[in-house]
Amino acid sequence: MLLSPNAMGRPLRTGLYLTTGVIAAFLLLPVVFIVLLSFGSSQWLVFPPPGWTLKWYGQFFSNPEWMDAALASLKVAVLTTIAAVALGLPTAFALVRGRFPGREMLYGLFTLPMIVPLVIIAVAVYALFLKLGYTGTLFAFVVSHVIVALPFTIISIINSLKLFDQSIEDAAVICGASRLQAIFKVTFPAIRPGMIAGGLFAFLVSWDEVVLSVMMASPDLQTLPVKMWTTLRQDLSPVIAVASTLLIGLSLFVMFIAAALRRRAEANA
Amino acid sequence: MKVAINALQNAQGPGAAGGVARRPGLGQRWKGSRNLLPALLFLGLFFFVPLIGLLLRGVLEPVPGLGNYEQLFANSAYTRVLVNTFSVAGLVTVISVLLGFPLAWAITLVPRGWGRWLLNIVLLSMWTSLLARTYSWLVLLQSSGVVNKVLMALGIIDAPIEMVHNLTGVVIGMSYIMIPFIVLPLQATMHAIDPMVLQAGSICGASPWTNFWKVFLPLCRSGLFSGALMVFVMSLGYYVTPALLGGAQNMMLPEFIIQQVQSFLNWGMASAAAALLVAITLVLFYLYLKLQPESPVGNAR
Repeated sequence: MLLSPNAMGRPLRTGLYLTTGVIAAFLLLPVVFIVLLSFGSSQWLVFPPPGWTLKWYGQFFSNPEWMDAALASLKVAVLTTIAAVALGLPTAFALVRGRFPGREMLYGLFTLPMIVPLVIIAVAVYALFLKLGYTGTLFAFVVSHVIVALPFTIISIINSLKLFDQSIEDAAVICGASRLQAIFKVTFPAIRPGMIAGGLFAFLVSWDEVVLSVMMASPDLQTLPVKMWTTLRQDLSPVIAVASTLLIGLSLFVMFIAAALRRRAEANA
Repeated sequence: MKVAINALQNAQGPGAAGGVARRPGLGQRWKGSRNLLPALLFLGLFFFVPLIGLLLRGVLEPVPGLGNYEQLFANSAYTRVLVNTFSVAGLVTVISVLLGFPLAWAITLVPRGWGRWLLNIVLLSMWTSLLARTYSWLVLLQSSGVVNKVLMALGIIDAPIEMVHNLTGVVIGMSYIMIPFIVLPLQATMHAIDPMVLQAGSICGASPWTNFWKVFLPLCRSGLFSGALMVFVMSLGYYVTPALLGGAQNMMLPEFIIQQVQSFLNWGMASAAAALLVAITLVLFYLYLKLQPESPVGNAR
């Protein structure tokens, strides 16, 4: 009765729906607001804007600093995705199929970077790279991002590997394939949704990473969130709204892909 | 498919339960563990070694001993940082539970299509760039911002109130960010509740009020606790939102750590504060794991 809207009683139901509407609006507010603002003509972010314009987009795309930052972000995110999937794949296999003691503890160990506060990882890795003289390099960016992206890929791949019946792979081996062939031709295609989901997570984590990036950045190499961060600390320029809108657009796009993949997986199941 | 999973898990069960039936050879015992090496090496080199290195600096620098920890708890400016951190995290947890609960409830109960939409809104807000959302709140809450204007137009306030660069801004921005982390686990818990139980409650004469407090809420407890604990832990370690929406006078622990490193080069103090944060986080996370029904790689128990 508290779980069926019809039996709930009108006052309670109306109250709950109203509250929900307000909270949903609260969740949408900043996202919609920032997109509208990026098209507003006011330099001082007056709302509602006095007029509509694309000039902030023009400024964003014609400014080499913003473009370099966006390009660096893309580079770091792609390299992070590749490295995280490459490291996550064998790890997931070992954790799901291995028969060795301490698998529980190892799983905990591998997911630890998800739990330790980012600030602490950032400071620790920063100290290491400071000593090695690697701060501000592409290597430093990618390594620090892979640390936090790895748990996401490991978990995604474990989830789909657990759904895969290993006897299918064994069947391929019995039919004459080598174990490696069977894994590449049978198992990998079957767990592809998990690999892609893990890759998407890794990409998003890297693309949106602020704390680690701010610590790793140098004047020569900074990602989009770092550029946004440093600009934000000076003023609230509408160009940041443009960068934000582009980030939101990308998140939406990735969510859309993930949803499409999920639907396909459900249809296949 | 479900059968296949169960079969797989049962097949894993006895093997992993560990050498009761027969003692396998060493090679057999560590079968398949070689695949762990790349990731283990990577994390060891770039995560565990630096982390332990950092935590050690708190008792080694500037002189070996517990001096940094003494200062951390004795200096009133530092204890204020600790008090800020815990009170903000506590407040954020309470607010996000209060806002997340009705939303999770509505998602479970409205017709499927609407529920999907509400869930999508939650996911959209969760996966939208953190920096973008924080920037948006910065603009919304500033003294000439929309929120102040609306409040003034409604006659609730006469003059703009300061809602950014202080703890109010931090609490608003962080509660907003944490709502999805309450809604998702809670919604899963509510979804699993059998509506018949509640019906039984009302047939037995419970008023909706009693039914809510005595039946529904206790059934939601596991999702509520694990969501709230997770939010509290995450709030303790958040940096971006407090740094942008907060003020220099009211720091939280993560900002304090960064400040000690970047502005004062005081690695000893930063490291002591970091060790404190790690210890609290791990203890709370252990509690969180205890609340979980099963482990993700665990065997069917």
